Amino acid sequence: MIEIRDVHKSFGKLEVLKGIDLDVEKGEVVCLIGASGSGKSTLLLCINALERIDRGKIFVDDIDVHSPQTNQDHLRRKLGIIFQQFNAFPHLTALNNVSLAPRKVLKMTTTDAQELAVQHLERVGLGDKVDQYPAQLSGGQQQRLAIARALAMNPDYLLLDEVTSALDPELVGEVLDTLRMLAQDGMTMIAVTHEMPFAREVADRVAFFHEGVIHEVGAAKDLINSPKKKRTQEFLGNIL
Amino acid sequence: MIYTFTTNDFWFMVQGAGITFVLTIASGFLGTVMGFLIGWARTAPNFLIYHLLGAYIDVIRSVPLIIQFVLFNSFMAILGYPLNPFISGLITLSIYISGYVAEVVKAGIESTPRVTRLAARGLGMTYFQDFYNIVLPIGVRTVFPAWTGLMLGLMKDTSLIAVLGATPPELLRASQIIINRIQEPLMILLGAGAFYFVMCYAITVFAKRYEQGWEQKKEIA
Repeated sequence: MIEIRDVHKSFGKLEVLKGIDLDVEKGEVVCLIGASGSGKSTLLLCINALERIDRGKIFVDDIDVHSPQTNQDHLRRKLGIIFQQFNAFPHLTALNNVSLAPRKVLKMTTTDAQELAVQHLERVGLGDKVDQYPAQLSGGQQQRLAIARALAMNPDYLLLDEVTSALDPELVGEVLDTLRMLAQDGMTMIAVTHEMPFAREVADRVAFFHEGVIHEVGAAKDLINSPKKKRTQEFLGNIL
Repeated sequence: MIYTFTTNDFWFMVQGAGITFVLTIASGFLGTVMGFLIGWARTAPNFLIYHLLGAYIDVIRSVPLIIQFVLFNSFMAILGYPLNPFISGLITLSIYISGYVAEVVKAGIESTPRVTRLAARGLGMTYFQDFYNIVLPIGVRTVFPAWTGLMLGLMKDTSLIAVLGATPPELLRASQIIINRIQEPLMILLGAGAFYFVMCYAITVFAKRYEQGWEQKKEIA
């Protein structure tokens, strides 16, 4: 379970997060929506300690993420993260992109790690791209590679930061299909997204971010179909 | 008496070329190690280190090498540690090239996008695992041609060590000594140029082979 308690975060004078509270249960899919710059992506980075927080607490399975006693490298194995921008390791084949962390972090043998990598590449539909380099893959394939790479670490949670926003429209579907499959398998996910139909279909709950706070949160269908607050109505009215 | 180019003169030049080559390899190695550490340190989020080492680089790159040779050599003598001209020259050359290497290394390290490093850390890799497995391979591929260029420049800069009067002389000084005796500057300079060319070309071919290896594997996007 992920517990976020009164989290504040500033970049210089700009306060990006102004007191965020949110709980995410095991097996739950929560989508974060809201305008650019409302703090959604920053919150994801704070959850797995890729950014520091200024105030508040975040617990992942009762581990205090930002405590100096916490081994954050170790903690991040529980939390897979996938970004909007393509970030495959350009000097490694798809196989080695996926098998690198299991080898280095989990100390698996090369044979075991590569076997694991093939399984996960097949799972996301890249079974025939094992020996290709990222430059030879399409954007959608690169994002699926990033998903396979995160899954190979067998994380308990997935943090998804607008994973379809940099894709050509015709490639969005293949990535969303992969995420749907993961949701069905019971993966816990926190996803920043602008894909409202996807959020409505896959998410259990949706949280609407506005100016650094969670303005409204509720069951996905309720919040997207009939938002209660005026700001939420305006935002959804603009993008739907 | 007629002065002509003798076999001894030829071997004198070969010896000079050997000294040039050894000076280049030794100071290139030391300077690259120093420059790597300096460039790496400057990517750390530390204001003081960044600017102190930045000042070092600015001074090194702005003062003519020939002045650095003389100043360093005199400085050590004044301190009471007079050095052999070769050692003194080697240290000066290493310090000199380290300033240039540091900037190339910094650019190489920064060529890995922030999000790629976040992705590596997000997989649970430590700072050093990310640095060794992701940042170094990407950075080396990016700045290797620039580094090769520095080494070629360094080889020709070694000739300035002549100002310290080191003997036996390196290639250019050896050539000048022969020219003074036989008064055939064009022939001798052509020959010296050919020596420099062969040594530089060897480095270039060696470097190309590495780069082509990466390209064939489609590793460079």
